[in-house]
Parts: sequence; structure tokens; C-alpha cells
Amino acid sequence: VSSRRVVLVVGSGRSGSSALAGGLQALGMHVPPPEVPPDEAGLRGSAESQWVVDLHTELLERANVGITDARPAAWFETGKLAANGLLRTRITEWMRPQFAPLPDLEGEPELVLKDPRMGWFLGLWRAAAMRCDATPAHLTTLRHVTQVVGTRDRPTARTAAWVNMMLHTERATRGSLRAYVRYDDLLADWTIPLFRVGTDLGLRAVTEASANSMRKVHQFVDPDLHRARHTWSDLPVPPRLREIAEESWQALSGLADPDGDTAEVHLTLDQLREAYVELYDEAEGIASSTADAARREGAAATAAESGEPKGLKRLLGR
Amino acid sequence: MTGSVSGSVSGSMGGLRNREGEAAYDITWPWSDGPLPPGLTCVFRVKNEARNLPWVLPPMLEAVQHVVLVDNGSDDGTPEVAREVVERIGASDRFTSTSYPFTVSRAGDEHLHTPPDSVHSLTYFYNWSFAQVRTAYSMKWDGDMVLTREGVELLRDLSWQLHDSGAVVAIPRHPMTVESDSVAWLDLGFRFLEPWIYPMGPEFTFVKAFEWEVREFPDTSERVVAPEGMCVELKWLDQDEFAHWSTTSFDAVRTPRKARELEVYRALSEGRGESVDGLLRVEAPEGVHVIDHVTRTWMASAPRPLVKRPDSVEA
Repeated sequence: VSSRRVVLVVGSGRSGSSALAGGLQALGMHVPPPEVPPDEAGLRGSAESQWVVDLHTELLERANVGITDARPAAWFETGKLAANGLLRTRITEWMRPQFAPLPDLEGEPELVLKDPRMGWFLGLWRAAAMRCDATPAHLTTLRHVTQVVGTRDRPTARTAAWVNMMLHTERATRGSLRAYVRYDDLLADWTIPLFRVGTDLGLRAVTEASANSMRKVHQFVDPDLHRARHTWSDLPVPPRLREIAEESWQALSGLADPDGDTAEVHLTLDQLREAYVELYDEAEGIASSTADAARREGAAATAAESGEPKGLKRLLGR
Repeated sequence: MTGSVSGSVSGSMGGLRNREGEAAYDITWPWSDGPLPPGLTCVFRVKNEARNLPWVLPPMLEAVQHVVLVDNGSDDGTPEVAREVVERIGASDRFTSTSYPFTVSRAGDEHLHTPPDSVHSLTYFYNWSFAQVRTAYSMKWDGDMVLTREGVELLRDLSWQLHDSGAVVAIPRHPMTVESDSVAWLDLGFRFLEPWIYPMGPEFTFVKAFEWEVREFPDTSERVVAPEGMCVELKWLDQDEFAHWSTTSFDAVRTPRKARELEVYRALSEGRGESVDGLLRVEAPEGVHVIDHVTRTWMASAPRPLVKRPDSVEA
């Protein structure tokens, strides 16, 4: 196993992954620049490389997959792109120079790559890491699904997308070098989970961290951040989906315990994934008229843009 | 319902009987009792692969949920070696070893003249072997093909991503002739591409072709092509690689892959490997076997594209 590391931060957005990736960056890990500029919602920055975000945006568009997409079949669509040889080469060529020595850093940089879209394309990044003689390590933050979904619009669709993302990225990283961190643990006392992550994933920046770099993390991780407390009673989500989401949270949360990544938990997660796929198939069947109507509407809009006659004119053949 | 393999076996929902009346080797399709659970099973049909399996089996068991090994008359201890390897890596619960006791016609002329519903037919042998699969996806793999590290990761992903997609996956392979523990010759002169991974079901059974069997799939099946560098196909310079063919006069149009392999084999046997376009000599560092070197290190760092020539040989 190569000692060169690329940490891939995966999982659902709004789960504290920015705090975690930013913490690793403050400890001395390298987020390849330029970074996505901080916006109003993330004043402290998101520790996301612009190149990575742009690439994923382009690929999701090509695959016709949304950043939060509840369709189990979306994994096949993005998986096909991840098997593309030219894309693997493109990412490898971007990644290789990122390991070049940095002025203020002793030794080779350890990379942190973070984007809420990362989970869709893990195969591509793992292949690039291997081609750069680096070991990919996966890091996931866990935050209760009700906190992630919040009370914003379409809570059912967002809950389903959370289940789809979390259960399938767990499957995608199983058997690989990985660590899970609960968001609440990170905010309560970041030193405990971060030290464990560093040890488990073999991150020099953590295991050899200086006092100064640890001070920086304290400035970065604000325990008052995102303390919103929603419960299932705040969210109108169908009972079966709620049940699968809650059980998924319980099982995933266990992965963050020391020695919690066990075959028994994997079996539970497999059963939940199967239950979710079954539920989605059912729902998709019931809602197919809505999908058909949207497809017709889209086709009509395209026809209108191309100047084809519409409405009565079309009916009358004019 | 029992079907026949006289032409196509598609649509046979229950199984197949053989013309010899060997009832113990009738074929019962695994999907006849209902949908198969998710997962990918790799099926090896092997004869005398004891030398290769210690390299072949461990990475494959890292990649897929289950491996079925069907031995066909080995006399070199192949099943015993397979069991030892699988036990050593702690994967016995994901491994099924079985045997098929009939002589199977060799690819080429012998195959052409063997009825497809005979237990001696490659077609029947393949259908029987794949009827042992108990997952929704299956892959055919040869006992001399070694996954690279990147190949393991790709198959691990596909083993769950493909579920319910109906897609088939083609994987390029790179023939590699081992000259010694530290030297091998990698054939990067041609692109050998063949579909290896298929869903299980009545539309994906084997039928007879001229030289060998082919697996059917509907026109609507999406086709995914894996990148280069996922596996090497081992050949040994000190071993006759053409023993399982009924002739070595290959038609370059009908069987271009075999014709190329014979060209490479002859050149290497005569010590003129450097003269073959696209044939690359790889030497491992001291203390590392060349197969490990190529599959674990060399292949990952080799510049892409690996195969520079646009020619593609597709089985």
C-alpha cells in the first residue's frame, strides 16, 4: 500500500463535510487550488477544488443525473462514465502534478478532494489515485437525515435522495480504506474523531500535527454552527421511507464507532438498500404518469424552441 | 418446460436435456424459481490451470461476490490448488467447486461438428456451467486471466452498479507471455475486446457459433466497454498454448486473435520478440515476480493509451 494519500470526502451535502475537509486542510492537508470561493452560506469556505466541482458538474449533466438524485438506476448511469478510459486519463493527468512539493510543506502533500457530487464518481478517482501510486481513502460525515433534509421544499424527494446517496456510497467504499465521522461528534470535540480518522487512514498531517495547525482547526470548526434540530414530526415523509431512512441512519451511525465497520452492519445495510430499491420501483411505477406528462411537456418545449407549429396550428397542420 | 439447443436456447425457461441422456447433467436454469438476488458471480471453466490459479483467484475474489470453478478433466491438481488458494485467503464461503466429467470438443473444427445439445459441446458445457450461478449477474472468465488492481476496483463497482441495468460489459485483455520469473512480454499491438459480463436470464444463454460458443443478448442491451489495463491473459513460453485447438492453421479473418497469438508465440520461441510490432518486454525489479509487478504496479503507471494502434480485434 502506497503511503501517498488522497482523501475523498463523500456522502450527502449539508452533513458537515466542509467542516471536516476544512479541518484536515487546517492541519496541513492540501486542497488543490483554486478553491470554490466562499459564499454566504459557507463563509468559512467549503474546501472544494473548483476543477473537481466543474468536472463533476459536467459529468452529471452528461449522465442526466442530479446532484441529489433518488433513483437507484442513477448509479449505473454515472458508473458508465466512471468506466471511461479517456476520463480516467484526464483525471490522472490533473491529479499527478498535485503531488508536487509545496513551498511551506515538508515532504509530499496529502490531498483532500471534496464535493457533494464526489460519491457518483468514486471509481474515476480511485483509478486516478492508483495510477498516481496513491492510496485512496474515503471519509464520510454522518448527520441525521432530518437535519440534512431540513424543512425546505420536497422533503420526501430529499429524504429519498439522502437514502440513495448514503446507502450506495457505503456500498461503493466497502472493503476500501475508509472512515466515518458523526457531525455531532465533530462539533462536540473535533480532536477525538479527527485523531481517529488520521490514525485509521494513515494521514501524516494529522498524526504529526503541530500545535499551530491544531489552533487553526479550533478557529475553523465552530461548535455553534448548524445547530438546527428538526425531527421526523417536522417532515411530511411517507412512513415506509421514513422507516428505511431512520434505520439507515442507525446502521450508518454504527460505522463511526471504533471497530463498528462489521459484516453484521454491512448485512443490515444490504437489506436496507434492497428495501429502498423495491420502494423506489413501486413509487416510480405509481408515478409514471407524472413522468410521462413531464416528458411530453419537455418535448413540446423543445419543439416550440425549434419553431415547430404548436397548439391549434399544429392540429390544423399549419 | 424443457428446451432444446438445436439452434437457439433463448426462451427456454425451465432447462435443457442432453442428447446422451445424462440426467445428472441436465440443465436447470437458476431463474426458473424466481428472480436471482443481486450480485456478480464469476464462472471459470478450467482444465489444467493449477499454475495460473494462485495469481488468478485472489484478485477475482476481491472483486466479485462469488466464484464458481468448473473443472473439466484436469490432471494437474487444479481443483486442489483452487481450494488451497481460496482457503488461504479466507473466501471458502464464496467459492463453489464442481466438475464436468465429459470430454469437450476443442475449439475450431471439432466444435463445429459437435451438436449443441451434446454433453461434449462447448455450448452445452457453458450453459451447464452458468446454470450453477445464483446471482443476477454473471461473468465468464478464463483460468489464465489476472485482474490488475484497477481491474479489481472496476469489477467491485460494477458488481453492484449493473444490477437491473440489463447491460453487458466488454473488457479488453492484454496477452502476456511469461518468459521467466522476472521477464514477460506484453502484447500491446492489438486491442482484444470481448464481452465478459452479462445478466442472468433466458435472453443471455449460450448458442453455437462456428469455432466456439457465443452468448446471446438482446439488441436492446446497453453495452459498456471497460478501459484498457484491467487484466492480462497469461501465457507461458515453456508451454504449448495451442493444445486446446484442433488446428493451428488459423484463418486471419475468422480468428484474428488466435492468428496474432500464434505469431507472437512463434516469435518469442525463436528469440525475436523485439521484431514484433507492439510487443513490449517488461522486467520486474529483483525479488518481485513479473506477474505481480505488471498487475500491481506497472499497469497502473503505464502511459495511456496502452494500445497505440487503432486496430481492434473483437471476439
